[in-house]
Amino acid sequence: MKDRKWRRTIGTLLAAAMICASLAGCSKGGAAGTGKDSGTGGGDSQGNGTESAGEQAMGRFLEEELDTGVVFGNIYDMKKLDDGSLRIIGTNEDNGNSGVWDSADGGKTWQSVYDLPDEMQNSEKGWMDYAAISPGGQVVCAFNEDVSGGVHPVLYLMDKEGKADKMSFELPKEGESLNITTALLFPSNEWIVLKDGAGTVYQINVSDGSVKYTYELDSDTSVFQVFAVGNNLIAQDETQVLCYDLQTGEQKASEEALSKGGSEKGLFHAVDTLDGGESVYCLSGGGLYHYKFGGSVMEQLIDGKMNSLGAPAFYPIALAMIDEQNLLIAANDTNASSVTGICLLKYTYSADTPTKPDKELKMYSLYDNKEIRQSISRFQKEHTDVYVNYQAALSEGNGMNVSDALKTLATEIMADNGPDVLLLDGMPVETYIEKGILKDLSALLKESGGSYFENILNAYQDAQGQICAAPARFMIPMIHAGSAYYSPGEDFNAFTERKDTMVNMLPGTVAEKFWYTCGAAWQKEDKTLDEAKIREFLTKLKNAYGEYDSSLEDVSAGMSVTSEGAGTELMKEIYLSQGNFDLAFGRINTNFGLCKDMDYGMQQAVNKKLKDGVIDLMPGQADHVFVPTMVLGISSKSAQPELAEEFVKYLFSQDAQKISQSGGFPVEKESFRSVIDGHEYEGQGNLVSVGGNDMDEMLDYAMEPTPEEEITKLTELVESLKTPSLQDDVIKEAVVEQGEKVLKGELSPEEGAAAIMQKVKIYLAE
Amino acid sequence: MKVSGKRKSRNNNNRKNMRGFLWILPSFLGVMVFYLLPYADVVRRSFLGAVDNRFVGIENYKTVLGNTAFQLAVKNTLLFTLLCIPVLIIVALFCAVTLYKSKYGGLIKSAFLMPMALPAVSVALVWRLLFHSQGLLNHWLSNVDIAGNDWMNSGSAFWILFVSYIWKNLGYDIVLWMAGLAGISTNIYEAARVDGAGEMQCFFYITLPNLKSSLYTITVLSFLNSFKVFREAYLVAGDYPHESIYMMQHLFNNWFRVFSFDKMAAAAVLESVVLLALIMLLQRAWDS
Repeated sequence: MKDRKWRRTIGTLLAAAMICASLAGCSKGGAAGTGKDSGTGGGDSQGNGTESAGEQAMGRFLEEELDTGVVFGNIYDMKKLDDGSLRIIGTNEDNGNSGVWDSADGGKTWQSVYDLPDEMQNSEKGWMDYAAISPGGQVVCAFNEDVSGGVHPVLYLMDKEGKADKMSFELPKEGESLNITTALLFPSNEWIVLKDGAGTVYQINVSDGSVKYTYELDSDTSVFQVFAVGNNLIAQDETQVLCYDLQTGEQKASEEALSKGGSEKGLFHAVDTLDGGESVYCLSGGGLYHYKFGGSVMEQLIDGKMNSLGAPAFYPIALAMIDEQNLLIAANDTNASSVTGICLLKYTYSADTPTKPDKELKMYSLYDNKEIRQSISRFQKEHTDVYVNYQAALSEGNGMNVSDALKTLATEIMADNGPDVLLLDGMPVETYIEKGILKDLSALLKESGGSYFENILNAYQDAQGQICAAPARFMIPMIHAGSAYYSPGEDFNAFTERKDTMVNMLPGTVAEKFWYTCGAAWQKEDKTLDEAKIREFLTKLKNAYGEYDSSLEDVSAGMSVTSEGAGTELMKEIYLSQGNFDLAFGRINTNFGLCKDMDYGMQQAVNKKLKDGVIDLMPGQADHVFVPTMVLGISSKSAQPELAEEFVKYLFSQDAQKISQSGGFPVEKESFRSVIDGHEYEGQGNLVSVGGNDMDEMLDYAMEPTPEEEITKLTELVESLKTPSLQDDVIKEAVVEQGEKVLKGELSPEEGAAAIMQKVKIYLAE
Repeated sequence: MKVSGKRKSRNNNNRKNMRGFLWILPSFLGVMVFYLLPYADVVRRSFLGAVDNRFVGIENYKTVLGNTAFQLAVKNTLLFTLLCIPVLIIVALFCAVTLYKSKYGGLIKSAFLMPMALPAVSVALVWRLLFHSQGLLNHWLSNVDIAGNDWMNSGSAFWILFVSYIWKNLGYDIVLWMAGLAGISTNIYEAARVDGAGEMQCFFYITLPNLKSSLYTITVLSFLNSFKVFREAYLVAGDYPHESIYMMQHLFNNWFRVFSFDKMAAAAVLESVVLLALIMLLQRAWDS
C-alpha cells in the first residue's frame, strides 16, 4: 500500500516536471536576451565596462573629427614619437607641397616642420609612393625617380630636422621588369622594413642601408600585408597572421588568438603599440582590437559599427595610440567634410558614456546598402546615445533566399520584434502599403525642409496623399549611341525596328534592361497585366535583337565588363556605365541601361570616339521612366517611432543625400547637383587615361567640373520623369526568364507571353 | 450497509476517472497550449484585419472564397488527395498481402521504408537533376530520339508529384497494413480452408473485414501525409510552381510572406472545418 503511494507521488512529480520543462521551453530567453550582445554591442571589453543585472555597462570611445587647420591632400604616415609629440608626413593640398608636420597637443593643431627636398617635390623628376616615420622622428620615403630609360626606385632618409639623404639600398630587379615598393615601415630607429613587388620583405639597417634580414612571404596562393611594432613583424593574409622577430629574423611561435582574430575581424588597416611591441593595437573594419603577444584573446576596444571605422567608404591610413584612452586615426573618407577626403579622427575614452548606446534603432534591408552604412555611421556620430542595428538579410552568408527573408521579417514584425526602419529593396512595397505595415511619411518629408524632385519622391503616393514609402535615390534608364543607331527622342517602336542595335548583347540582360522601361506600361487598373502588351514587347524586342549567337555566353563568362558585378544580387550588368568601353571600341552599337551617376569626362571620351554620340532616355513602352532605389519606410509597429522618424529624416537630409556610393542619384535637388557637378575636380584639370579589359584600349579625358549646361540638361531631364518602373521581383523574374527564352529563339513571343501570364497569374490572384 | 457499498464503488470510479485524467493531463496540456489555443487565436484573427486588428466580420471569408488562387489551390489539393490516397492504400495493401506471405517479407518491407528516411532536400535535388528542361531525363530521352519536355513547368509536374508521394509513403502504409494482417488469427483462415474457401474468398471474406479498423487509421495518416508533399514541390519549384501543383500550402506560404494573415486565418478555419468533417465522416462510416 505504502509502495503504491510512493509510486503515485513519484509519477505525479514526474508529470509535473515534464509540464514545467515543456512550458519553460516556450518562455522568452530573458536572461540571455537582455545580456550584452558581443556581436553588436562592441562592448565585450570596451574599456573597463562591466554590466550586472539592472546595471548598465559604462565606458566607450567617442569619435571626433579634428579640424587641424591644414588641408591634407594625402597622408603617408602618422606616428607618436618618443618625445610624446605626433608627426605626420603628407601633402599640403593648398600648395601641393609634401612635408612633415608635428603636433604637441594630441593632434588638435599641426605645425609644419619642414618640406621634403625639392627633388622629391618636382613631379617631373618622379613621384613618392610610400613614406614612414620612426619613433625617433626620422622619415623614410620610397621615391620613384624618372630617369632616362625608365624608373629608378630609391629610398630617401630624413633625420628629425629634415636633413635628407639617399640611402644606399637598391631594390633588386624583378626579372626583366621593374620592382616596386609595396609597403614601407619604420618600426624602430635602427631599421626600416620594406616589402617589394615580388613579396620579399627586407629589413634594412638605417645606418648603412644594408639588408639585415630578408623574409620570403608571398606564394602563388597567398599575398601578405605587413605591419611592424617594436621587434615584431606581423604578416597577415586572409586566413592567418604570422609573426617574425626582427632581432633574430626568425619566425616566432604561432599567435593563435591573433591569427584567429585577424581572419574573423578582417584585414588590418593599421597597427600601433604603446609598450614597445609587447602588445599591439590593430585597426580593421570591425573596429579597434588589442592583443598582447602570447595572450589568448583579441580584445575589442572600439566597435566599428558605432562609428566611422565600419563605414564602407572609410579607408584608414595610419593609427597613432597617444595613450590607452586616446588615439588618432588618419583616414581617407570619400564622404568626409574635407574636400580631399583626408581626415584625422580622434577617439577618446569616455568612462561615463554607456558601453552600448541607450537606444537601439533597428534597420532592415534585403541587400547590403553602402549609402545606408555610411549614413548610419554619420548619424551615430551625431547621436552618441543611438545604436543603429542594421541587418542586411541576404548578405550575411546564411544561405537565405528572398522568400525566407520576407517570411522571417513578417514573423518578427507581427511579434512586435521587427525593424523600425525598412529599406524596401526587393520587397513588395505596394503590398506592404496596402497591408498597413508602413507609416505615412508625408508630414516627415515636409518637415525635413529639403527641396526634392517631387515627381520622384511621390512615386508611392496614394490617392489620399499619403506617402508610406519614399525613394531616397533613383536611377534613370538611359541610352548612349551613335546617330546611326539612335536618334534623340526615338520611341520603342522606332528603336526596335532598327537592326543591329543589340549585337553582342546577352538576351537575359537585354530583357532585364527593357523590363524597367516597359514593365510599368503593362499594369492595368486592377493590377493585373496586359498580355497583349507583353506579347508586343516580346515581339518587338525579338525583332530588334535578331538571331541569337550562342558563342556570346562563352565570351561573357570570361569577360566581366567591370568589377561592379561583385557583391549583391542587385548588382548585375544592367548599368549604363558598364558598357562604356564596349561602345567606345565598337563591340556594341548602343549602350543602354540604368544610369546611377554622372561621369561627364567618361561620357565625353566615349562621345569623342563615337564622333556623334547621343545620350538620352532609354526607349520603352512606358514614357519617362525612373527606377526608385533606396526606398524607405517606417514600420507601423516600430517600437521607437520618433527615433525612426528622426533617422529617416536624416536619410533625406543633404548630409546623407550627398553620400555617393553608386546607389543612384539623390532625390534632394541640392545634393543631386552636388554629386553631378564634379566640384571635386575644380581647378585640377588632370588628364586621366582609363583602361578597359584590353590593355590597348584607353580612354583619355580631363577630370574637370561638369559644364553648367550639362547640369541643367540632366536636371530638366530628371524633372521630366513621371513613371516609376514596376517594382515587383516576382513579375520581373518571370519576364526576364521567358524573355531570355524568346530572344534565344526557344519560344515564340506568343508562347513567351503566355508563359509569363501563367507564371504571374497565381501571384496576382493571391 | 448496501448504501455505503454503492458510495464506495462510486468513489472508486471517481478516483479511477481522476487518475486517468491525470495521466492524460500532460499530453492534453500540450495539445491545449500548442494546438487548441493557437487555433482559437486563428479563429479570432479570421474576423480581424491583417495588421490593424480591426473587426471586419466575415469579410475575410468572402475574400478567400472569391480568391482564384484559393480556388485553384483547393481544386489541386482535392484532386491530389482523391487520386493519391485510394491508389496508395490499394497498392500498399496489395504489397502488404504479398509480402506477408513471402518468407523475405521482413527484408523487402525495410527496403520499402527507405524513401521515408530520405531527407526531402535530397529528393528535391534528384528531382531537379532528373526533371529540369536540361536534365537527365530529357538527356536519356534524346538518346532514344524522343522529344523532351520542361517537366516541372508543364502538366507533367502533377504526375511527378503523384508518383513521388506514392513512392515515399508506400513503405509506411505497407508496414501499417502488415501490422493489421498480423492481428488476424490464422485459425480463421484454417477453418475457412477446411470449409473449402479459396485464396480470393479468404481475402474478401476474412482479410478485408478484419482490416477495417486498420483502414481508418491508414486513410487518416495517408491523408495527413499528403500535405507533406508540399516540401518537395516547394524545394523544386519555389513559391510559384506550375499551376497543376499549386497546393494549399503554397498559398499559405505566400500569404504569410506578404502579411495576409487575415486571409490565411479565414482559409485555415475553412480548411480545418472541412478536414474535421471529413475525418468525422470517415469515423462514422467505420463505426457503423
